[in-house]
Parts: sequence; structure tokens; C-alpha cells
Amino acid sequence: MQTTPTNGPLLEAVNLTKRYEDGVLALDHINFAIRGGEVFAMLGGNGAGKTTAINLFLNLIEPTDGEARIDGIVTHKEPLRAKERVAFVSENVMLYQNFTAVQNLDFFARLGGKTGYTRDDYRDVLLRVGLAEDAHNKRLKGFSKGMRQKCGIAIAILKDAPAILLDEPTSGLDPKAGRDFLGLLDEIRAEGKAILMSTHDIFRAREIADSVAIMDDGRIIMQEAASALGGRDLEDIYMQYMGGHRLQAAV
Amino acid sequence: MLATVIGKEIRDLIGSTAFAVTFGVCAVLILLSFYVGAANYKLAVAQNDASEAENLRQMEGLTDWFSLEQHRIFLAPQPLEALVTGIGNDIGRTTEVKTRGELTAEDSRFNEDPIYAAFRFLDLNFVFQIVLSLFAILFGYDAISGEKERGTLRLVFANAIPRATFILGKLIGSFVALALSLVVAILLGCCLLPILGLHLTGDEWLRLAAIIVSGLLYFGAFLTLAVFVSAITQRTSSSFVALLVIWIAAVLIVPRTAVLLAGRSVDVPSVDELAAQKATFSRQLWKEFRDQLNSFKPSPAEDMEVLMASFNQFMDSVTTERDRKMDDFAGRLNEGRFNRQKVQERLAFSLARVSPAASLSLASAKLAGTSVDLKNRFFEAARAYRETFNAFMKEKTGMNVGGRMIMFKSGDDEEAPEPIDPRELPAFRLRAVSFGEAVAASAVDIGLLAFFNLVFFTGAFIGFLRYDLR
Repeated sequence: MQTTPTNGPLLEAVNLTKRYEDGVLALDHINFAIRGGEVFAMLGGNGAGKTTAINLFLNLIEPTDGEARIDGIVTHKEPLRAKERVAFVSENVMLYQNFTAVQNLDFFARLGGKTGYTRDDYRDVLLRVGLAEDAHNKRLKGFSKGMRQKCGIAIAILKDAPAILLDEPTSGLDPKAGRDFLGLLDEIRAEGKAILMSTHDIFRAREIADSVAIMDDGRIIMQEAASALGGRDLEDIYMQYMGGHRLQAAV
Repeated sequence: MLATVIGKEIRDLIGSTAFAVTFGVCAVLILLSFYVGAANYKLAVAQNDASEAENLRQMEGLTDWFSLEQHRIFLAPQPLEALVTGIGNDIGRTTEVKTRGELTAEDSRFNEDPIYAAFRFLDLNFVFQIVLSLFAILFGYDAISGEKERGTLRLVFANAIPRATFILGKLIGSFVALALSLVVAILLGCCLLPILGLHLTGDEWLRLAAIIVSGLLYFGAFLTLAVFVSAITQRTSSSFVALLVIWIAAVLIVPRTAVLLAGRSVDVPSVDELAAQKATFSRQLWKEFRDQLNSFKPSPAEDMEVLMASFNQFMDSVTTERDRKMDDFAGRLNEGRFNRQKVQERLAFSLARVSPAASLSLASAKLAGTSVDLKNRFFEAARAYRETFNAFMKEKTGMNVGGRMIMFKSGDDEEAPEPIDPRELPAFRLRAVSFGEAVAASAVDIGLLAFFNLVFFTGAFIGFLRYDLR
């Protein structure tokens, strides 16, 4: 499941803008580029525009201006081709409650165009994400949020897409599950995938991200490579930028 | 991709506890409707046989056909009435065959046993109309909005799947899963029929198959409607409430309101009004008849035999003329009323057909032979029978029907007269509706049910293409 890194960015936002029908400007000309083997963390409060950006990459909504590109493909122009190259893990992975973990994996793998997987493949990937074997053939009804999240990541791994979108993936996870998740993300990055992660979780973002962007009111107000942050505390930076931007906006 | 979505939909529906419970209830109701229908049919056949036997028994001992005062014919229960009662229990099941005058149907099942009218029978049509539509709503109201609420819609559309494929797969998958499970229950019920003593002819099996197809089209209409509403609402609670309101309107309000509106829009003279007019005319005719009787002047020289022949000829002539006038008058009134009723009926049914429930009821009753046409068919057959009966009576008595003078001779040395054989009477049988006739009669309603499917399917399809997937 190794993805060959391409030269260009696998995930790219170019002046990406979204204004809803009610006039609300959810995203205001944001730009970023994520290459293979990079984790890009979007930080920001509720309504900052993180989920809107992910929805634009998934072509669940169309941009008002600008483009979201996956592996160079403009999502709103060729949505089906673009989606072949991306996997998605949502904040609250629900999946189909009447299906077992394996049945869910099988359905989503087929949707992703992967029809050759065997039961052994499903078992291996579920074990890899840390789901105990006795849960593989149980219905998801009784699964905890952490267990469902593991299934969601397994689905993303099975799709074997060069780019991965994570929408608040650690929200609601206990500390151990959160740490396990970061370990897994590290492995996936090592496979050369480009990962865009929206999160409230400053500490985990600091731990895993190669680049960090702070968003507020639909704009990226700070974007830095993690290495450029040096020893500075990301929480302080976040509070400083948020305070400064709001003050600026008020003035 | 389509097969994947269809397969997922079937597994997701059939694997749910709600499906197991709801399907169990539906299956029990379907089987119960077959059982109750067959039991009721057997009871109705037994009652009909007893009534016919009693009718013949009353003729026993009669020594001449003149003495036959009352002869009744009976509307035998229609075999498919067991499953689609229609108006079978509401109309009179017997009529006295008078040699002249109007025929009136009496002794409806509900008239005889009003307890059955209190809650009506549980028939297959009721199960289709009420239970299947609710079943469809229950499993369709959250088809799209539910997936959105649960977050699976976003996850699905993170993949390269066209919206059209998804909605098509959902509609096909849910219909196949739910309809096939219902068909299994219905087929089980069909297998029970011969065991329960209800033996259908090949033609009746075909008509039953058409009733089942109508039921499935009706089910499909409500399922596609539910998916349609789900595809234009964002919350499951909104789609459920909207569908509940639509269901109440379509199943309970529209058909009844249509009949009320038609009743108010088209005046049909009541039976009592007509009876009063007929009675007035009849009195007038009787007065004329008495005057004519007074005008009969027998020749005093003639012997008794000649006198009687002359009187009978005179009576035949005046009664035939009187009856003709009465029949003409009553016929005009009845035809006028019948035509008004037809206009009212057409208006009521046209309005009611806005609802798939009305289309289903009309289609299945026509296919079962228990629609409102049953009464007309019974009367037409009874009138035709009367012609045969009158010809039979003339052959047996040598006289036309009407007033006459009869001379009886008696003497000790005469042999006792032989009793008549009531079995010589011509038999009355209502011709069953053929499969072709039934399908032709119900084509409009079956077509409408298919049309509802198409409209709601298109609505669901277009609604989902514009659906906010976030």
C-alpha cells in the first residue's frame, strides 16, 4: 500500500472561496499545498471554515471562487476522478450500524473501487488499526466511538488513495486512543500520503503536523512549517493570533 | 457500483431488528387475512347453499306451477371476495323473481349479521392499503435524511460514486428487499388457500396475481414517495411528520372526501322519491285497470269454458298493457337514476384517484369482481333470468303472467295430482368476470398506480440530485 510520491502537491487550495446562499462567507481565498508524506493541520474554532474546506475537497459543495485540487485534478470540474484519489475520515464515524466491521469495510472498499480484498485483508487492516479480532464480525451498534473511528481509518487505508482528509479525527477519543491514532497517522504518512487534518486539538497537531495553519472567519491567519515554530508553544501562538486577528477585525 | 449499493441496501434493511419485527407483523396480518377470508368464504357458501335449499324446500308439496308464489335467486359468494371483500357484504344477496315488476336485492351479509359491519373484515385489500403503505413509509422516511443524520452520506460521497447511481441503488434495493419479503408472505398465503378449502380456477388465480401486482405497485408508490420526501428534507423528523400527514390525507381523507364532494355536486334522486312517483303512477294505472275491468261484458249465451277463455284473453291484454306502461315508466325513472348515479360515481372515483389508496381499492375490487359493478351485474343477470323464468312458467302453465280466472274441478274419484319438481326450474348463475375483462376494467387504476411510482421515483431522483450532502 505504498503510494509513489509525485512532484506536485497532492492536496492544494488555490484562492479557495465559499460564500453560501445566505451571504455568509465561509471561506475567503485560502491557499495551501500539501505534498506526499506531509501532514497539514488546520486549527481553528467552530465556524472557522475547516469543515467547509474539507467539503470543497470532497465536492459536497461547489466553490464560489478558486479551486480545490486533488493530485492536480480540480474537484468541482472532475469530481469523480478527484474522489478516486482521496480517502476521508469524518469526526464522528457512524458507518452502517446493522453491518459488522468487516461488512462495512467491504462495502466502502467496493465503493472505492477495490473489489479484490479478501476477509484476511479486512482482518489484517482491522488488526493494524487496533481493533480486537473478536469485534470484527460484530455489528457496529455496540461499538464505542474509538472503535468506530478505527473502522473509519481502516476504510481510508483500504482505499489506498494518495490523499487523506481527516475532519476532527481525534475529537472525543480517550488519551490512549488518541495516541494510537497519531501512531497510525505517522505510519500512513510514511507511505507517502498527503494528509489534511482539521482539528481543535492543538497538542496533537503540534505532535504530528508538518505544517500548521490557524483559521478564523474563513481565512488562514497564520501558516507555518512545524519546524519553523521552533520551541514556541503552539497554544500560545494560537491564542496570540486569534486575539490579534479578532482585534484587527474589530478595529 | 450500482450492484454494490443495491446489495448494501438489501442487507442493511433485512439485517435490522425493526425489519424483523415489522415484517413479522406484516406476514402474520397477510396470512391472517388469507385465513379469515377463506373461513368467511366457506361460511358464506354454506349460508348460500342453505338459503337455496330452503328456497327449493318451500316449493315441495306444490302440485302445480301456478301455486309457486315465491321463487328466489341468490348471489353466490365470489371466490376472490375472500381476499377483496369490496361491496360483497354490503349488497343484498338475494332477490325474489317476480314475473313482473322491479327486482330488489335483499339480505346483505351486514344486514343479516350487523356485528361484522362494526369493524369490517380483515381482508388482503385492507392489509395492502393500510399496513403496506405504513410499512413503506417506516422504511423509506429516513432513506436519505437518515443517512445524512447518521453521517454515512458524507462518507459514501467521499467516493467516486455518481448521485444517480446511489439513489437508483437505494430505490431498487429497498423495493427489492421489502417487496420480496412481502411476496414470500403472500405466496405462503396463496399456498394456504387450497388447504383452507378455497379452490380457485385458473382464471381466478390470474386475477389474484393481478391483485398482488396492484398491491406491489401501491407499495412501490408509497416507498418511492417516502424516499422522495426524504430526499427533499434535511431531518428525519421532518420527513416522518410530512409522510404521516400525506398518508392520512391519501388513505383516510381523499377517498371519503371525493365521495362526499361528488354526492354534493351531482344530485341523484333517492329510492324513496322514485318509489313515491312509481306508487302514484301505479295508482293511476290501477284506476284505469278497474275501469277496463268494469267495461268487460261477457256474452250471456256463451258457455263457461268460452267465457273463461274470453276473460283470460281480456285479462292478458289489459294486464300486459298495464305492466308495459308501468315497466316503461319505472324503467325511465330507474334509468334516469342509474345515469345520475354513474355520473356521480365517475366524479367520485376521478377525484378519489388522486390518492393511490383509492386506485388500489378500485383496481383490486374490479379484479376480484366485488366492485360497485357487482350489484349491476347481479341485477342484469337477474333480469335476464326472469325472461327465462317467465318462459319456463308459460311453458308449464300455458298462460301469460298476470290476472286470470281459474276454474278448479274437484271430485272424489279423481287421482291425487303429482307434485311439481322444483329442480326443473332454470338455475341461476352469475357469470364470473374473466381475467381479460377484469384487467381491462382495472387498467386505468393499475396504470395510475404505475404512474404514481414513476412520478415519485422521478421526484426522489431529482430531489437527490439537488440534495445538500453535507
